[in-house]
Amino acid sequence: MKKFFATAFARGLFWQFIGTLLGAGLITGIRAAMGLSVTDKFFFTEPAWVLGGFIGVLFFLGGNGAVTDWFKWARGINTPEVHEEKYSGWEKYFSVSLDHKVIGIQYTVVALALISIGGLFALIFRTELAASQLQFLTEDVQLFGQNGPQLYNTLMSLHGMIMIVSILLGVSGIINYVVPLLLGAQDMAFPRMNAFSFWIAVPAAVLLLMSLVLGGFDTGWTGYPPLSARAPVGMQMFFLGVFTAGWSSILGALNVIATVLRMRAKGMTAMRMPIFVWAAVATSLIALTATQLIGLSFQLVMFQRLFGMGFFDSAKGGNPVLFQHLFWFYSHPAVYVFVLPGLGVISELLPVFARKPLFGYRWIAMSSLGIALVGFVVWAHHMFTSGMNEYLRVPFMYSTLLVAIPTGVKFFSWVATLWKGKIETPTPMLFVLGGIVVFLMGGLSGPPNATVSTDLHLHDTYFIVGHFHDTIFGGFVFPFFAALYYWFPKATGRRMNETLGKIHFWMMTPSFFVLTLGMMRIGLLGMRRRIADYDPALGFDTTHLVLTIAGYLIGLSVMIFIYNFFNSIKNGEKAEGNVWNSRSPEWQVPSPMPMHNYDQPFEVVGEPYDYGLADSKYVEFSAPAKSAHK
Amino acid sequence: MSHTLDKLSAFRQGVVIFVYLAVLTVLEYFVAVTFNAVSILVVVAVIKVGLVMYYYMHVYKLNEESDADIHSYSYKTGTNRLGLWLFLLSDAFVFAGLLTVRINLLGLTRPHLNQTLGLAVTAVLLVSSFFMNRGETAMAHGDKKGFITNTIITFVLGLGFLLGVVAVEWPLAAEEGLTAGSGAAGAVFYMMTGMHAFHVFTGLLFLVVVLNNARKDIYSAEQHWGVEAAAVYWHFVDLVWIFFYPALYLIGKAL
Amino acid sequence: MQHFVIVGILVIVMAVLTYVGLDSAGLMPVQASAQAVSIDWLWNWQVVAMSFLFALIFVPLVYSLVVFRRRKGETGDGEHIEGNTNLEITWTVLPLFLVLAFAYMGAYSLGEINRVDPDAIEIKVRGQQFSWTFEYPEYGIVSTELHLPVDQQVVLLMESSDVIHSFWVPEFRVKQDVVPGRVTRYRITPTLIGDYKVRCAELCGMSHYKMENPVIVDAQVDYDAWIAEQTAIAAAAQTPEAIGQLLTVKNGCIGCHSIDGSKLVGPSWLGTYGSVREFADGTSAVADDAYITQSIREPLAHEVAGFSPSSMPPYTALTDEEIANIIAYLKTLK
Ligand code: HEA
Ligand code: HEA
Ligand code: HEC
Ligand code: CUA
Ligand SMILES: [Cu+2]
Repeated sequence: MKKFFATAFARGLFWQFIGTLLGAGLITGIRAAMGLSVTDKFFFTEPAWVLGGFIGVLFFLGGNGAVTDWFKWARGINTPEVHEEKYSGWEKYFSVSLDHKVIGIQYTVVALALISIGGLFALIFRTELAASQLQFLTEDVQLFGQNGPQLYNTLMSLHGMIMIVSILLGVSGIINYVVPLLLGAQDMAFPRMNAFSFWIAVPAAVLLLMSLVLGGFDTGWTGYPPLSARAPVGMQMFFLGVFTAGWSSILGALNVIATVLRMRAKGMTAMRMPIFVWAAVATSLIALTATQLIGLSFQLVMFQRLFGMGFFDSAKGGNPVLFQHLFWFYSHPAVYVFVLPGLGVISELLPVFARKPLFGYRWIAMSSLGIALVGFVVWAHHMFTSGMNEYLRVPFMYSTLLVAIPTGVKFFSWVATLWKGKIETPTPMLFVLGGIVVFLMGGLSGPPNATVSTDLHLHDTYFIVGHFHDTIFGGFVFPFFAALYYWFPKATGRRMNETLGKIHFWMMTPSFFVLTLGMMRIGLLGMRRRIADYDPALGFDTTHLVLTIAGYLIGLSVMIFIYNFFNSIKNGEKAEGNVWNSRSPEWQVPSPMPMHNYDQPFEVVGEPYDYGLADSKYVEFSAPAKSAHK
Repeated sequence: MSHTLDKLSAFRQGVVIFVYLAVLTVLEYFVAVTFNAVSILVVVAVIKVGLVMYYYMHVYKLNEESDADIHSYSYKTGTNRLGLWLFLLSDAFVFAGLLTVRINLLGLTRPHLNQTLGLAVTAVLLVSSFFMNRGETAMAHGDKKGFITNTIITFVLGLGFLLGVVAVEWPLAAEEGLTAGSGAAGAVFYMMTGMHAFHVFTGLLFLVVVLNNARKDIYSAEQHWGVEAAAVYWHFVDLVWIFFYPALYLIGKAL
Repeated sequence: MQHFVIVGILVIVMAVLTYVGLDSAGLMPVQASAQAVSIDWLWNWQVVAMSFLFALIFVPLVYSLVVFRRRKGETGDGEHIEGNTNLEITWTVLPLFLVLAFAYMGAYSLGEINRVDPDAIEIKVRGQQFSWTFEYPEYGIVSTELHLPVDQQVVLLMESSDVIHSFWVPEFRVKQDVVPGRVTRYRITPTLIGDYKVRCAELCGMSHYKMENPVIVDAQVDYDAWIAEQTAIAAAAQTPEAIGQLLTVKNGCIGCHSIDGSKLVGPSWLGTYGSVREFADGTSAVADDAYITQSIREPLAHEVAGFSPSSMPPYTALTDEEIANIIAYLKTLK
């Protein structure tokens, strides 16, 4: 326990706490001096909370040591190129490490923690929805300064955003761990910034959770004004949290692009990069640029609340619809940030388990870029009913439909990869296949939303909720699990338990089909989104009950996974060699991956996925890799 | 680092570009006051941005061959340079977003502001860019003293700009009734100038850091990435103002 | 070759079965407007496409899994096939045609929905947290129920008093947001007599889930009768009490205040006037004229125990006379 409190993680949290109090105290002091009110419903006033939250983040980073080297540089002091790890055990993962492998695991674990929290929120509000009428979130309930239905809204909104943040972190986790290994690099291009990007996400998550207890907010994850301009203080914490998490995403993406452009092994031309790298680049292009716009849109609402700036206040000549444009300019491309790496994982693993070359490598690589680029010009399909200029609806309908084409290329190529393979189905492959089918369902439910007239019916119903749980699960959650099962032996030198993995899969997949198909059905029949209670006359009670049960089963299966994950670190079956018989460079060296990755640099001498071609090689090490670790 | 130009011609080039920029700025101002042609203003701004990007920020260096050895200073500088430009690309989206907000909310109107002051601060920022270029050029030729003098001038001018906007223009505007809460125009004005001022402020911090490090003699003609970064960042802040100035002061009818 | 034939047949079988299954599952609510017809038409084609495309991918995937699985004891890799440019072009171009088809159908269907009938009846709609009010300017009627004549296009001119709401009657299909500071239009031609509900589809705060009002599509005669009845009520509203009552409907007060003692977002008005109001800070006051006036104009001035005053927007536009009428009406609620 004592050791834990000495870690950078604990220190950061401690300083965040101090910083928050200091910042809030500062504003409170100023207000007192100016004769303004100093306390409010949640002890501090809103400006005090905002500055406190902000200073808290800075203190976290200063306190835990993530920025120490930069301060040294600013003072003209050089720091060693590679840090030696101070710790070897679990403490390593709670300390500021510059090793991309450690950071990748840190990201992944935080993502899993957030998925659990967000999932728990989902289970709570799903329980409320299991039957019509308010069950336990009634108007008489008072918790954290909110009554029942308000609490429903807060939980629902936080579920959405926490899950999205967890996806961003999970994506960063996989990319961080895998991309330098695939490139043959020692680390990312900017290791310190890499650590910074991870650590800034931690106080961001704290801020998001703080919003729950500071009165919550009732706007959904989209935070549309004018509602968000009136919501309780929790809204500000939510905005600040997302803003902070956004920086994690932006800087992480910058790092990925620089790494891929500058750190490839000899001979690794663009068309010989492992396909996952293409996906990582496409994702990063979006995250690097578009993320600024959600930051800006949230910042504008924050300022509207703090200083009365009337950006979105129609009484002051502002425009509420403008917010939606800024918001979706990020948040649509963001959905491709979620899925492109997942689809990359699918493309990366399929050849390994089908024992066949990836069908149409170039096309798949280009389709990732294509999706990313077209994804920039479709945002207004979330706004068909918003009252924006009518004539904008048709071009946005067309551009949205276009995304189906590059996505389709991926699907067809995957099927062609499987065709005539010698398919093995260990747990990672199961999740890959599950991901394909689930994402197919999600993707195919996209075009009906894209054609304006049908969307006028579907918008803001559970059909949409079903659509995006399908795309997100198929495009991110399933591949994420696949990646974890697949690279776990690389990271730990042990395998995850296969039986538990299969149970996880066979429990999650059918429940998931029930969950989303049920959502889509009631959505079509008139179930609105974001409602704490529904009209019993609609006759949805049974379906909702089934959905809730399915939600619980998914939760249970995820718990099994989490148990398996942590248990296997210690007790898993040893797996030091090329567990999956893959051609990828990281599997040609012992597991767990040595400290500075490859002892011997390698050169790319062939195609990455030439399975089935005798004596073809992808990489050649300049000297035979040492077979035993250390 | 390849110096295709000797020191003197490099300085001379800086002057020529500065004269171009100054003339264009004056032209811009007169176009705006005489016949308000938005399209000309946009074209002028784009030309100015092109000049700054090429001659002051030397964007072409992104394409430069660096030493093949990954651990060499030159290779790392290449990577850092890429990183910095990626960051600027990302940051540009914030400013583009703000311009979008301005266009959407105000259209062909603009806040009523003090024209003289606007032109004055713009000139100050432009001159600071000139001295920044001189400072960087000096360092690239190993002239530490020249670097320090020119950078201090840049710093002073930058501070002047910052104060001109925040300490003079803001109170003036507020007196005329343009406050943050007064309406869309006020909100846009304070947000755009505020966000830009924040970047100027960080740029000033950056200048202090490199000045201090130069004093400690850690830069040389061959190895001065810190100086280059500070300079590129400074010019970027200037570049943003090239768009913001017409957007706030010149385009459209004053409210 | 044999593989392709089997897969081809299976794809068709599965596509047909999926479509028939979905079609007979009753996925849409009753079709109660002319606009719904062209929406459902497009939706139906979407279902056809979805069924086919799902089968097109799902069948060969499962087929490969079964037929090309690694058998016990088998070693070695699959065939070395790197790709096939012609195939790739095919499955880029064929979906492009499908996309073009849907682009065309989408635009066509949108055009049908927007078709304007110059004789459309105009009705004003106001959305506010958390109820709807409807105004028939021709007749001076204000109501919380929307009555529409069957087979006659109406255009709703919608405004919001506070935040964004969204007007949606699932049976009519079409949905349109109601945005503060602008008027949005909602054009509909009801075709089926019946009782429906407008359900607010945009999260608008705590009681968003309750924001539902009746929508009644009447035969022309019944509609005329209703109009006549309401006009009579409006005309009869000469007393301050009656005018006050209308004002509370018109301004949406009754979305938050019940008159039967039940608790909504705000305190019920039953017995409010003249009673002692307990505040959250422990103080109390008697609800007299001044108190009610202040409550309406500056809701933040005091916090009635158990309620959050920020929920209620300040109604600064109401004149003194109008407030006097409202007070007169409140007095009757004993
Ligand atoms: C992982 C995330 C993800 C992904 C990948 C997608 C993918 C797509 N989405 Fe989705 N979407 C979301 C997440 C995602 N979406 C979320 C979170 C929301 C709700 C946000 C909120 O309001 O809270 C949303 C909402 C949303 C809307 C707004 C609905 C509304 O609120 O009214 C629309 C409208 O056009 C849309 C469309 C699409 C389309 C066309 C695709 C396409 O990319 C799909 C392409 C794939 C296929 C089509 C399948 C495979 C292709 C073939 C087999 C080829 C042949 C096919 C054809 C020719 C059709 N989505
Ligand atoms: C990654 C994205 C993601 C994921 C994984 C999920 C997972 C789930 N979602 Fe989520 N959902 C969203 C993203 C996601 N959702 C988004 C973006 C919204 C929109 C929000 C908005 O409208 O603003 C949404 C909205 C949404 C709604 C609509 C709410 C409404 O409109 O009122 C519903 C309703 O059923 C729902 C249900 C579920 C369920 C049952 C799961 C299940 O899969 C959850 C399964 C459970 C777990 C994975 C947890 C398991 C772990 C534990 C139980 C251990 C806990 C222990 C500790 C914390 C110590 N979600
Ligand atoms: C969005 C919800 C909402 C609307 C609409 C609304 N109110 Fe209220 N009202 C409230 C709430 C909540 C309170 C309790 C506020 C408080 O504590 O001061 C309240 C309090 C009151 C009170 C004091 C009641 C008491 O019990 O002491 C009066 C009178 C009142 N409202 C009148 C009106 C009138 C008249 C209108 C319409 C013109 C209206 N309200 C519209 C939510 C609403
Ligand atoms: Cu009004 Cu939801
Ligand atoms: Cu989208």
